[in-house]
Amino acid sequence: MKKFRWQIIAVLLVVALVGLLAGGCGGGSSSGGKDTVKVGIILPLTGSEAMFGEMEKNSFELAYEELKAAGKTTVGGKEIKLMYEDDQGKQDVAKSATEKLVNQDKVNMLSGGYSSACTNVIAGSAQTLNTPFLVVTGSSDDITKKGWQYVFRGSAAPASKYTISFWDMLEKVVKPQSVAIIYENTDFGTSGAKGFREECNKRGIKIAFDQAYEHGAIDFKPMLANMRSTNPDMIFATSYVMDASMIVKQMKELDFNTKLFVGNGAGYTMPEFYENAGAATDYVASTALWVPNVTWPGAADYFNKYKQKYGKEPDYHGAQAYATMYIIADALGRAKDMTNTGIQQALKQTDMMTIMGPIKFEDWDGYTNQDRPNTYVVQWQKGKLEVIWPEDVKSASYVYPAPKWSER
Amino acid sequence: MLLGQTIICGLLLGGMYALIAIGMTLIMGVMKIINLAHGALVMVGMYVTYVCSKNYGIDPYIGMFIAMPVLFLLGCLIQKYMINRLVEVDSILPENQVLLTVGIMLVLTEAARLMFKSDYRSVTTSYSSDTVFLGAMSISVPLLIGFFIAMVFTLLLHLFLTKTDIGKSIRATSQDRDAAVYMGINSSKITMITFGIGAALAAAGGSLLLPLFYLFPDVGHLFTAKSFIITILGGMGSTMGAAVGGLILGLSESLGATYINMGYKDVVGLVIFILVLLFLPGGFRSLVKR
Amino acid sequence: MNMLNKKFLLTIAFIILAVLIPVVIKAPYQLHILILIIIWAIIGTSWNLLGGYAGQVSFGHAAFFGLGAYSAGLLTLHCALSPWWGILLGPLVAALAALPIGMICFRLRGPYFALAMLALGEIFRLVFLNLTDFTNGAKGILIMPAITNKMFYYYTGLGMLALTLLATYLIVNSKIGYYLVSIREDQDAATSLGIPTTLYKNLALLPSAFFTGLAGAFYMNYVAFIDPNIVFNLTNVSVMVILVVMLGGVATTWGPTIGAAIYIFLGEYFRTTLGSANVLIFGILVCLIIMFLPNGIAGELDLLKRLTQRKKASLSGGV
Repeated sequence: MKKFRWQIIAVLLVVALVGLLAGGCGGGSSSGGKDTVKVGIILPLTGSEAMFGEMEKNSFELAYEELKAAGKTTVGGKEIKLMYEDDQGKQDVAKSATEKLVNQDKVNMLSGGYSSACTNVIAGSAQTLNTPFLVVTGSSDDITKKGWQYVFRGSAAPASKYTISFWDMLEKVVKPQSVAIIYENTDFGTSGAKGFREECNKRGIKIAFDQAYEHGAIDFKPMLANMRSTNPDMIFATSYVMDASMIVKQMKELDFNTKLFVGNGAGYTMPEFYENAGAATDYVASTALWVPNVTWPGAADYFNKYKQKYGKEPDYHGAQAYATMYIIADALGRAKDMTNTGIQQALKQTDMMTIMGPIKFEDWDGYTNQDRPNTYVVQWQKGKLEVIWPEDVKSASYVYPAPKWSER
Repeated sequence: MLLGQTIICGLLLGGMYALIAIGMTLIMGVMKIINLAHGALVMVGMYVTYVCSKNYGIDPYIGMFIAMPVLFLLGCLIQKYMINRLVEVDSILPENQVLLTVGIMLVLTEAARLMFKSDYRSVTTSYSSDTVFLGAMSISVPLLIGFFIAMVFTLLLHLFLTKTDIGKSIRATSQDRDAAVYMGINSSKITMITFGIGAALAAAGGSLLLPLFYLFPDVGHLFTAKSFIITILGGMGSTMGAAVGGLILGLSESLGATYINMGYKDVVGLVIFILVLLFLPGGFRSLVKR
Repeated sequence: MNMLNKKFLLTIAFIILAVLIPVVIKAPYQLHILILIIIWAIIGTSWNLLGGYAGQVSFGHAAFFGLGAYSAGLLTLHCALSPWWGILLGPLVAALAALPIGMICFRLRGPYFALAMLALGEIFRLVFLNLTDFTNGAKGILIMPAITNKMFYYYTGLGMLALTLLATYLIVNSKIGYYLVSIREDQDAATSLGIPTTLYKNLALLPSAFFTGLAGAFYMNYVAFIDPNIVFNLTNVSVMVILVVMLGGVATTWGPTIGAAIYIFLGEYFRTTLGSANVLIFGILVCLIIMFLPNGIAGELDLLKRLTQRKKASLSGGV
């Protein structure tokens, strides 16, 4: 009998909850929307990508405070208001978040988007809803290749374009005969590998080894040992942060020497990479969109401020968000009116300097509203990430070929 | 040489898989439920060891002996106050216990995320990337140590199950719960202890991986599926079967990665799994019995 | 007769309500939530036929969902056809794949069957991930939906859900349905009575896979982006559908729909109000519901009704 009563209570509780939800979801229209310009920002604040979502949110806040101090958060008498939504790293949730921000909260524009999958969905929905969307991180080539005029990508490069200055260095310095390509089985990994593969074929460079792997593997040695037997001149790897450190650590353990190991951004430029892999990171090069000691104005400043405020080193994801906030404030400041077309026009005419370099949304190479990315080649030297290419902005000279493990 | 390297890597890693899977095989054998929270228990164990190492400077191999009792207790509590409640309740499908373990997995993972954020963490010890060379084949020292500790644990557990009273009660309950109850075995106490031991072994496996792997709240998912495969390969409830199953899974993944494609290495394990299910439903244990 | 009438009236009322909802709620965001509920209700109802009535708990329904979604996606990618053709093709592909899957997995029982399905689901995910040339791999398939009107999706989805519910209802209340329940309750007894159990299990699996594939194809059309890690996901599809059914009520007609409504509503409500603890709270609630309502909400309501009726009967008997 006692148990039975429990069940009644539980049923009632659930029924009450559902009723509450129906009310909550239905009537939650936001108040006081008249004198604010709302910017909806969708980031993974929970789930396995939350680490990056947090960093980007913090950077948005940091930039917002600076802009506020400079009086730039009030445009045309209205205050810019940031509204964060969590996509949990799941794309159907990202779609829900987009629908909510646009239809319920009536935001003037959207930003955010970390993983490729979520960014794809947000971009598609934003285009159908005719709401301007400025991508922060999502790097899938497709996003700006569909001719969607409401989708803009400034601080992020398409995954296949991370290598622009790296190819320059390859042609002038490395001149490889054969390469090995390894990449994680994700959108970023496959797009990056595909871009690199096509460039190799164009230049007649032999691809000696070409394999994908599932993110989260413990043991890369079978793959690495297999790759060593093909004896490539250089290795091009696209990896998530911890896979990156597992790979270089295990290369050291295998005593696998290569003249040049190049990561394709992502894992290979993050502070966690060095923290985890330590000395094994020495002479590992990587393509990069941003590093703290890049020469753009404000970059070092941002790095120090972030570190001071949040007690952690930011990486390029944070910088993307920080720059994006500045682009948003700039565009909203110039917009004729706060309608979707007004903001879209203003974004299109953007021409400004950020900590990610100059930003301009252009149509080129099949892309629409895509900034031409500034890419670098960086190299880990004694635990520091040094810019080694292009030569006019370098912070240290490149080391090539990398010394053998036994000679270090 | 390539083959040798592949085999060594596979076997060593397989030993670690085995330890994690033994925890699951015990639970599945006694309780006949699929425990989807097993990976989450591995994760909790890893965090305990991590905290010991980061905050108190305790070596992971010693921290393991703190993580194991903690997880034993956690396992007992989960079994006693959550899963056990469902055993007595009448429901159409017994699988709601499985669903409860899904809920537990969600809660443990998200609680870890609230406490530690989603950051990737790792413990770097002085020996983390030490290697010994056997000819041209490299062997990672922490992997080797982990392998031996895992094998010692397997042996100890085997002795525990065959020689002690509690161990014998666990096996009896696993074979026939009703008969065991008639024989005067307190089955709810036994299931509680079993779940505790299973959780403690999961923690041990996680701690052994810590010096060479890394840690984040979702790390458990990687181990749950592998543990199922091993449990079925070895035969439900069989310690030695799980040990053999672990080695075979490690080996097949490794060979698959070398000779087929790294992207397909998990497919190899899964195909073996289905083949064993179909043609050897009792797992490797049934081979020995014949 | 009276009972049947009441049930019939309730169903009619529910249908009228469902049809009229968009007239009252015009906001696209709310409609979006309802569409998600419909998608999950279709998957849940199909799973319920196999898992709830026939007792064959599948941990691999993501395989059928993914096949449905990819049928639609690949049609667009390779043949430049509208993904709406996938609504026809997807369910067929899923049902076709179910044939060999059934042949393999129905040799197994209980947890072994569950795990074999789990493994098959994962194999599908890994294969679709690695066949980059054919499936686009992890890049997934991104399309621009031709139709953007939420009303359209709502009514299409509602029609599909009605079809699924009707088919399930007819199967369950036919001879097949009774055989299925007998297999769930005691397979050996069923076999000894001469019921060809494997045949009937397949008869449950085929429509189950068919309608799950339908939901998959519809999902592709609605969300307009898929990749293997999304549609073949073990935790977010295969396990969640079981959760949806168990929350609502196993082996009940309306259970999965109720479960889907709770799952989506709660998830979305918690996400928008609770901040970073939202999944944690959701997990705690799942544990509580399973612990205190082991047969799901619809299942417990049935039980409640029976209990109260018995009490009334005994009362009236006393007087």
